[in-house]
Amino acid sequence: MDYGTTNPDEVIKHARIDKTPTVKISHSDALRCKFELKDTTMDFANTLRRVMLAEIPTIAIDLVQIEENSSVLADEFIAHRLGLIPLNAEGVKKLKSSRECDCDEYCDQCSVTLTLHAKCTGEENMQVVARDLVPAGDRLNDHIGTPVITDADGQGPLILKLRPGQEIKLTCIAKKGIAKEHAKWAPSAAIGYEYDPHNKFHHLDMWYEENPKKEWPPSDYATWEDPPDETQPFQFDAEPTTFYFNVETAGPLAPDAIATEAMEVMMMKLAGLVNELTAGEGGSGANGLESPGFGGGGGDGWQDGYTTPSGFGAGGGGNQSSWGGGGGVTPYGTTPYGGSGAPSW
Amino acid sequence: MVAIDDGFEALLEPFYNGKKLTDPISTPEDKYQLLPAFLKVKGLVKQHIDSYNFFINQELKEIVKANRLIKSDQEENFWLEFTDIRVGTPSRNDFSDIKTRNDVTPMECRLRDLTYAAPVVVDITYSRDRKKIIRKDIQLCRIPVMLKSAKCYLNGATNAQMEIMNECPLDPGGYFIIGGTEKVILIQEQLSKNRVIVEADEKTGGVSASVTSSTHERKSKTYVVLKKERIMLQHNVLVEAIPIVIVLKALGGMSDYEILKLVAGENARYQDDFLINFEEAAKAGVHTQQQALEFIGVRVKMGGPKNKPFSMSARRSPVEEGLDALANIIIAHVTIQGLDFYPKAIYIAMMVRRVLMAAQNPKLVDDRDFVGNKRLELAGQLLSLLFEDLFKMFVNSLKGNMEHFFKKPNRTSTYDPVGPISSQGNYITMGLNRAIQSGNWTVKRFNMNRAGVTHVLSRLSYIAALGMMTRISSQFEKTRKVSGPRALQPSQWGMLCTSDTPEGEACGLVKNLALMTHITTNVEEEPVKNWIFSVDAGVEPVRKFTGAEMHSPGSYIIHLNGTPYALTRYPKRFARKFRTMRRRGYISPFVSINLNEHFAAVHIATDEGRICRPYIIVKNGKSKLKAEHLKLLQLGKAGFDDFLTHGVVEYLDVNEEQDTLIALYEKDITLSTTHLEIEPFTILGAVAGLIPFPHHNQSPRNTYQCAMGKQAVGAIAYNQFNRIDTLLYTLVYPQRPMVITKTIQLVHYDKLPAGQNATVAVMSYSGYDIEDALVLNKASCDRGFGRCQVFRKYTAELQKYPNGRRDRMGGRDKLDDGQIISKHAALDDDGLAIVGYRVQSGETMIKKETPLDQASTGIGTDRGPDEFRDVSVNYRISDPAYIDKVLITNNEKDSAIVKVQTRQTRRPELGDKFSSRHGQKGVVGIIVDQEDLPFSDMGVVPDIIMNPHGFPSRMTVGKLFECLTGKASIIHGRPEYGFGDAFRSHPAESMGQALIDHGFSWQGKDYFTSGITGEPHLAYIYNGPIYYQRLKHMVQDKMHSRSRGPRAILTRQPTEGRSRDGGLRLGEMERDCLIAYGASQLLLERLMISSDGTEVDICQQCGLFGYKGYCQTCKSTSQVTQMTMPYAAKLLVQELISMNVGVRLQLEDEFPHPK
Repeated sequence: MDYGTTNPDEVIKHARIDKTPTVKISHSDALRCKFELKDTTMDFANTLRRVMLAEIPTIAIDLVQIEENSSVLADEFIAHRLGLIPLNAEGVKKLKSSRECDCDEYCDQCSVTLTLHAKCTGEENMQVVARDLVPAGDRLNDHIGTPVITDADGQGPLILKLRPGQEIKLTCIAKKGIAKEHAKWAPSAAIGYEYDPHNKFHHLDMWYEENPKKEWPPSDYATWEDPPDETQPFQFDAEPTTFYFNVETAGPLAPDAIATEAMEVMMMKLAGLVNELTAGEGGSGANGLESPGFGGGGGDGWQDGYTTPSGFGAGGGGNQSSWGGGGGVTPYGTTPYGGSGAPSW
Repeated sequence: MVAIDDGFEALLEPFYNGKKLTDPISTPEDKYQLLPAFLKVKGLVKQHIDSYNFFINQELKEIVKANRLIKSDQEENFWLEFTDIRVGTPSRNDFSDIKTRNDVTPMECRLRDLTYAAPVVVDITYSRDRKKIIRKDIQLCRIPVMLKSAKCYLNGATNAQMEIMNECPLDPGGYFIIGGTEKVILIQEQLSKNRVIVEADEKTGGVSASVTSSTHERKSKTYVVLKKERIMLQHNVLVEAIPIVIVLKALGGMSDYEILKLVAGENARYQDDFLINFEEAAKAGVHTQQQALEFIGVRVKMGGPKNKPFSMSARRSPVEEGLDALANIIIAHVTIQGLDFYPKAIYIAMMVRRVLMAAQNPKLVDDRDFVGNKRLELAGQLLSLLFEDLFKMFVNSLKGNMEHFFKKPNRTSTYDPVGPISSQGNYITMGLNRAIQSGNWTVKRFNMNRAGVTHVLSRLSYIAALGMMTRISSQFEKTRKVSGPRALQPSQWGMLCTSDTPEGEACGLVKNLALMTHITTNVEEEPVKNWIFSVDAGVEPVRKFTGAEMHSPGSYIIHLNGTPYALTRYPKRFARKFRTMRRRGYISPFVSINLNEHFAAVHIATDEGRICRPYIIVKNGKSKLKAEHLKLLQLGKAGFDDFLTHGVVEYLDVNEEQDTLIALYEKDITLSTTHLEIEPFTILGAVAGLIPFPHHNQSPRNTYQCAMGKQAVGAIAYNQFNRIDTLLYTLVYPQRPMVITKTIQLVHYDKLPAGQNATVAVMSYSGYDIEDALVLNKASCDRGFGRCQVFRKYTAELQKYPNGRRDRMGGRDKLDDGQIISKHAALDDDGLAIVGYRVQSGETMIKKETPLDQASTGIGTDRGPDEFRDVSVNYRISDPAYIDKVLITNNEKDSAIVKVQTRQTRRPELGDKFSSRHGQKGVVGIIVDQEDLPFSDMGVVPDIIMNPHGFPSRMTVGKLFECLTGKASIIHGRPEYGFGDAFRSHPAESMGQALIDHGFSWQGKDYFTSGITGEPHLAYIYNGPIYYQRLKHMVQDKMHSRSRGPRAILTRQPTEGRSRDGGLRLGEMERDCLIAYGASQLLLERLMISSDGTEVDICQQCGLFGYKGYCQTCKSTSQVTQMTMPYAAKLLVQELISMNVGVRLQLEDEFPHPK
């Protein structure tokens, strides 16, 4: 991508795509979802990818109260393993973040409690698996917090093994969180992302030994786009607008839900930002929650030291439809500063 | 014997390269299977165990046999004889018949700080009232037992038994447990004993032959020196060097002509060179044996043998002295029978001949660094030296005790030696324990005083412990600036690891055994002597020949352990027949035979400490190892020893190796080939064997990895959580390496690994990766990559004092309102920390209290205070830890000991050290969120990003291969490609093909997209799994800063070191910089104000220190001024004054006041 232009007006014009982005899902099952994101910019596509990886709220075990542990593994060892067990995150939106909840430590509104009690009474070593984690107390719905079990035996991930006579008894508190804080809250396992199967933009140099055609087998998406017209001159200022995603879930959310969740998270973030900015324009703290240094600064105050999420300015125009009124044209979007669309580093 | 599951069984199954039992066997491919079969019977730590067993079962009895009889000088009728000595099984020291169980396991010894030792019992017969009394099983002493030796409970134990004993089945054994610590007796390397070494002195051009004679009685060194064309004999017992002809004359029965022939044979040049020596004898007026003996006797150092009782009649004549010296001291290992000195004459003549030959042809000098001229001393030999010394001392003190008893004029009872034996024997126990504990080997008789023989077994990682068992330490001084002993010797091939040596000071002096090395134990000479004469016709004792016959062309002297023994005219036929008998099992396989054409000699060696290894025998261009042999091996119907007795394989020592033509691979065999290597990768040792593709790396990189593999955090042993080590690092999720080697399987590194397979992308990222720094994926760390646990031990012993007082455990201190003080938050009622509690810095873990009154006798009014003082053990590390274990037990002194183990779990942080298996270490430079990291088109995100600048200068191509091989094997599925053995690894082409077959680039490079911008990277990124080791160096243990803190008492300067919260030193070089820069105020601040600046009063009149503005010398306050100076300088002045050196301080203003 060409970052050479410094004239902000040109950049905006250049980057703006006058169409609404569209999503075409080509494949979807319980594990993965493949879709094509069309008529948008690379910034937006990458933002979507990053949000899917790091910012979708899910639920994972965060606190472990150990009552009895005579297994060979140390308490924090087991706690770490428990944290990594994927839990069903259906309806996690309704769950409060435990940091914002009014309760002291945790409550039914901001957490799901799971209990584990196993004792090996037989002669053989015993396996304690995720299935043995039993949700306790009131839950928002019947699914949230249940360990995700996908294996054929219905056992779920192995937590630990017990020798005859050993016992484990503990209570887990699962909380809402995002993968930015800890990877256990990541909903997805791997996200494939590609564009331009024919290398029309020459973003790749396609190094080859003898024959590039032979050595670079075409991508699955090669048939989705027209091959480049060799007779046409190379479009040096063209930009990719179509992106192919391959989202694989770790279990907490359905793969297509990950994508839609991610959009929602993005929108909420932008909405929050826009809200702040418009509030700042009006000169009054909209909800009185923000810090004085932030809200009081007004139109100029935020410029020093506040970096905007990239892609907003560029993608904003075509993307705010679902969010509604007036947000698309913010004072922010018109400033030369915000319009560059350049990543923060 | 019960089949022991030692983990080798699986290896004997032919699944290498995906082969099944039914598949055809190809000998060149599958002959490596001899290796696990070999390791089952010999090799690695088995040498220690064999050597110890040899000592316990044979040497011990020999030593006692040699000192069996004690006779009283006072009471003529009394005698005492030791008829047998036996070592029992390990038992507790507080042995008693009442207890149901007295046997002790090694684990109990480790935990209770005991010594793993077994009682030694003797059988005695002695006289009482002219009757013979026989007493059996009298405890003499206790001897430390080597783990897994014949006397150890672990010997031959099955896995299930091992588990009951809380022992790790993979533990190598071969060490001792003394007072709870594991001690290894390192293998000691030294020049061979009883062999002639000819050396040239480069400065003077002189040649000398020397021999270190070593017998049970004494050790001495004899030299035959060529100086100014004259040959002399030198020895410590002789005041000056003695002309060689006089020595030969003193040995008697030879005319000058015979002497000449014995030395020079018919060779005219040697005769010419030697003739001059006859003049020396003539000049000294020595013509007869009598004169020669007198000549020598006069020059024998006074005192003679020390332990001669003075009851012996007056001093001996010079002739007797000379005779005694020649018979017993000079070249003592050639024994004299009935004053027949001819064998000794032959020996000395041989030395002279060697000197003459070397003078003629400088190529004929010996190489000290040649491995064949070295012997390795193992635990058994060292212990036997020590035990012999201690036993002799015991016999002497027992005799003293006896004489003391018999001295009494009217005895009330008859003498009973049983009590004294047990009480005096205690000195043997203590002597052995002390030697192994301290590592100081002192044998007064031999003037032996070695320090650092034993080391604490390093339990940092499994491989560190294993590496320690194969370590060889050299006796050479480290300061000598000769490169010879440090250099890699060609004869080390296959015997000593070419890579595993430390860097720096001990480089090349500390070595390691290769995988297939075996160290011989002593083989009896007698049967070999018989075989020498019976194996081939025409072999006659050398005793029967004159010098002319011995040195006639075509005659070969057969040397047995360096001493001329027989003569043959058909050396090759003799050697061939001798070898045949050895291959058939009539002669011990560890007896070596080799021919030396330069000296017309056949050497047969049976002594201990020779380094040898097995080879496949090749005859008539055909390997003796056939497919059916391997089939039998796989079916478990034959073992290595069977192949040995059936002439398929044989052991060769370094000397015999010189006579062979060894093919590296089966395809290299020609008609003249004599042997075939079993496996080329056995040139490396156990530690270097962990490296995949070592043959593709620059050699020093392999050496670096050998050092770092020992620092890797991982699994130590199966019983690691039962042990309480001072410091224990374990990895939470250790992984078996993706790319392994045969050696890894053989040493079971795959069962106790120390590292994780990280997906590595080789690219630059973020700039925080310069100078080998690594970029780590935060999500990987969240998921457990590099997570480790650190265990620490804290101990307290509750002592008893002679006055009956004893240490005690105190209770928790409480505040006025009954609340427990925060320092004691982790404590329970018993004054010990509660298991599972989190301890913060400063909190008490063991609340031990000691009585104030320790010295009073407690008798009558002599009683001290009844108060106790708090000497609790506190947790001092700034990061909190959890209490993992608490142990209360009794030690050997029967005082209670408390051990508390704490546990920390750590995730990788900035600055923690990681290393791959190719000597490429680096610290974590930055930990990056997963979404910011580059990802491949399949969504693969690396765990580690490594900067490509690490490759060009290091030339670690092996790492690239590891990455490629690892990638191919994960994509293709194991175990097809996962091997990276030295010299037998899969070709890279097949890896590339596997990648292509699965739609990847054959180069291992992939298309990566930047996680930050979403754009593709222009370059294709080389990526794949590389095994990374987390090293023990962690930031948390090292980071330190101080603004103010404690100071040393004497100098008042800040203390030194992190453990004492010390200051950071501004050293000389830093000071130099500041001086050069001219930052004088900064210098003043750093060196004085922030350090030990003190206000002092100085009297300007007398120049001495005053006090509070008053000068004691001048009795005035008038001239006293105040100034600041370093306390250390003030101290120096006062110290100088205290030793009568006058010091006056004259002050002047730097900026004088304008008058």
